[in-house]
Amino acid sequence: MTEPAAAVPPAALRQADGSLHCPHCRAEVAATEAFCEACGGALTPTAAASDDEPAEMAAPIEITRSIQADTDNQDTVVLVRPCTNCGGVIGADGYCQTCGTKAPTERDHYTEQPASWVAACCDRGVRHHRNEDATAVAAEPAPRSRAVLVVCDGVSTSIDSDVASLAAARAAREVLVAQRPTGLGTPASRVAAISGAVVKAAAAANTAVIDNTALDSENAASCTFAAAVVEADLVVFGNVGDSRVYWIPDHGSIGEPTELSVDDSVAQARIAMGTSREAAENGPQAHAITKWLGRDSPDFVPRTGSTVVNSPGWVLVCSDGLWNYASEAAALQSLVAEISTPESDPLPLAVALVEWANSQGGKDNISVALARL
Amino acid sequence: MADFTAEVYQNEFLPEGGTDVNAIVTVTCTAAGSAGQTGSGDAGEIIIVDTSGSMGRAKLEAAKVAAAAAVDQILDGTWFAVVAGTHQAYLAFPLVRSGRGMVQMDSNARYAAHQAISQFRSDGGTAMGTWLTLAGRLFDSVPELAQRHAILLTDGENHNETPDQLTNAIRGVTGKFQCDCRGVGVDWQVAEVRRIAQALLGSVDIIPEPDQMSQVFAELMQQSMSRGVADAQLRVWAPQGAQVLFVRQVSPTVEDLTSRRVEINPLTSGYPTGSWGDESRDYHVCVRLAAKATGQEQLAARVQLAVGNQVAAQGLVKAKWSDDEGLTTRINPEVAHYTGQTELAEAIQEGLAAKASGDEETATKKLGRAVQLAAETGNEEATTRLRKVVDIDDSETGTVRLKREVDKADEMALDTASTKTTRIKG
Repeated sequence: MTEPAAAVPPAALRQADGSLHCPHCRAEVAATEAFCEACGGALTPTAAASDDEPAEMAAPIEITRSIQADTDNQDTVVLVRPCTNCGGVIGADGYCQTCGTKAPTERDHYTEQPASWVAACCDRGVRHHRNEDATAVAAEPAPRSRAVLVVCDGVSTSIDSDVASLAAARAAREVLVAQRPTGLGTPASRVAAISGAVVKAAAAANTAVIDNTALDSENAASCTFAAAVVEADLVVFGNVGDSRVYWIPDHGSIGEPTELSVDDSVAQARIAMGTSREAAENGPQAHAITKWLGRDSPDFVPRTGSTVVNSPGWVLVCSDGLWNYASEAAALQSLVAEISTPESDPLPLAVALVEWANSQGGKDNISVALARL
Repeated sequence: MADFTAEVYQNEFLPEGGTDVNAIVTVTCTAAGSAGQTGSGDAGEIIIVDTSGSMGRAKLEAAKVAAAAAVDQILDGTWFAVVAGTHQAYLAFPLVRSGRGMVQMDSNARYAAHQAISQFRSDGGTAMGTWLTLAGRLFDSVPELAQRHAILLTDGENHNETPDQLTNAIRGVTGKFQCDCRGVGVDWQVAEVRRIAQALLGSVDIIPEPDQMSQVFAELMQQSMSRGVADAQLRVWAPQGAQVLFVRQVSPTVEDLTSRRVEINPLTSGYPTGSWGDESRDYHVCVRLAAKATGQEQLAARVQLAVGNQVAAQGLVKAKWSDDEGLTTRINPEVAHYTGQTELAEAIQEGLAAKASGDEETATKKLGRAVQLAAETGNEEATTRLRKVVDIDDSETGTVRLKREVDKADEMALDTASTKTTRIKG
């Protein structure tokens, strides 16, 4: 969203009830948005994003792409940014007028940065036709205050997983943002309260997935869930499936890089039975997950945990699109040390990690959410 | 105002390293209106009748009835003329020596044209190039014409011109008007007349018996009058670095358009399609791309129909590279059907050419293949016509024997109809 637009895009349309709608696809949009979240069409914001207000306070974004919608509707999206491949002009049909490359929609690649210390990047990768991953992050402005990081990875064999995963991530974020510490409490009671919120967030995400599944769908949408809530030096996390939460302390500081979450996967079950991680994660059905969210979910209660960090570093929530290429926490620590900038800005690091995964083959969609502690 | 739509049929999935994208694009026109009546310019019609000595009394009398029947179908207000052709071309109507060589139809003009046609006398030779050249000059004399169409009737070979003279004459009028050509009897050359029809975006067919002529002429003129879209162009955009391997019309007839390409811009080619009525035409487009990585998607072609300089309809031909063999090996039924129909047309024409030159072995092989393709693609009309030229032992394997006694008209009908295709059965 930092690239200049070639022409002034149209403003959102205001309905009689005061709601704003995308002029391209009619999805509901917020006044501050420069792009429609549903179709990726360019908009001229009618209100400036407020700095003293956390991003999560922005109007909830509705995901209105019909679950029966023909994907060809994307062809009518008008994109005003130049072609990512050759810099050519994108036609009204969504393809470059010079080289024919399909212009990525906002759903294919997006970034979020609600505060200077928290950011996320979500990308289609190289090999998949759609981005079925989703991130949703929120943070209060003060560094190391309070942040919420959520990643959901849509299961590619199910229908409409891209719509469902985004709805799920945002529903979970809403629950976790609404949960605030009440009174002082003991550290143990804080952990219990936040863990309870993580369980509720997973339930809300599960409901969102089901709400975005066609009643007659023979292949119900489903996705994973991984979330981390940061409150000062406390990190509370939970997951369903194989999206992960890592603690990556800065190279050279005290503390061990740690994979905080435990996958619900066939690979993890083999590791638990004594198979080496490398063998398990590359073996047959390594990527088969044993728990997920969705209409056919057998169990959507996340396994939760918490940790208190005592050194500078990163809380990383990611999908397997990243950890496929660097599974061990130590490997991720080396990678982060190699590509992070000294300013500790989370957005360039999130984008760099996504680019790195793409350079490794980009076999899957990639989600990276980071909080700087 | 006419409405155009474009639909694309293809398998967009390519395997790793795949480069060639095939698609069938169906362009449909509705609400075309009538020729010259839509406010976008006037229509002009010229009826060209062979009055050479070979026509004789019976064919000439039938030709007079046919020309008069065609005149009756011309809508009032349409500019028209009648040309009588021998080894020279004569303007039979209107009776003018200078100025505009065409007049607008009304009841007086219709009566006078009938009178002129009744004066036809058969005499002299055949030089179709001169007929076409005169028709071109007549159309040129009426600048307000937006739509120009002619019907040409002949009964014999082009004796009084060399092939080069005919070629030059065709070249001189290509793009000036469209021409539907009909041969009466069996003494004319299908290949010769097809050359004229193809260059002038028209049809070619045989009228075996003189008494069938007037109905054919009336229908041809009716059809032309129902084409309210004077001219349209098929446009194919392909990405930089891509190669358009071919562009073919595949329905209602097979016409290779590749060589008729004109450049619109460095990435877009234009192909003339002539006038349109309420109808559908199918195009087969094949584009070669540089292979991209698995998972990548790109546009292989934008196939558009342009009227004037306005794009009236567009279909998108896509390429998606995938490692899913279930997707990449799927054969699109429309592409397969028309690939077969195109080969069928070639097999018939090559088989008949071999037969004419006495090469029975090649003729048997090619016509056998044609029988096989006609059966596979469900083209029953072609099967019926082939049956009149060969005895079919087994249509599945294409085993045939050349018939000893073949009616010349049946053989010519097989030739002229060889490019007619059937639509895929839904």
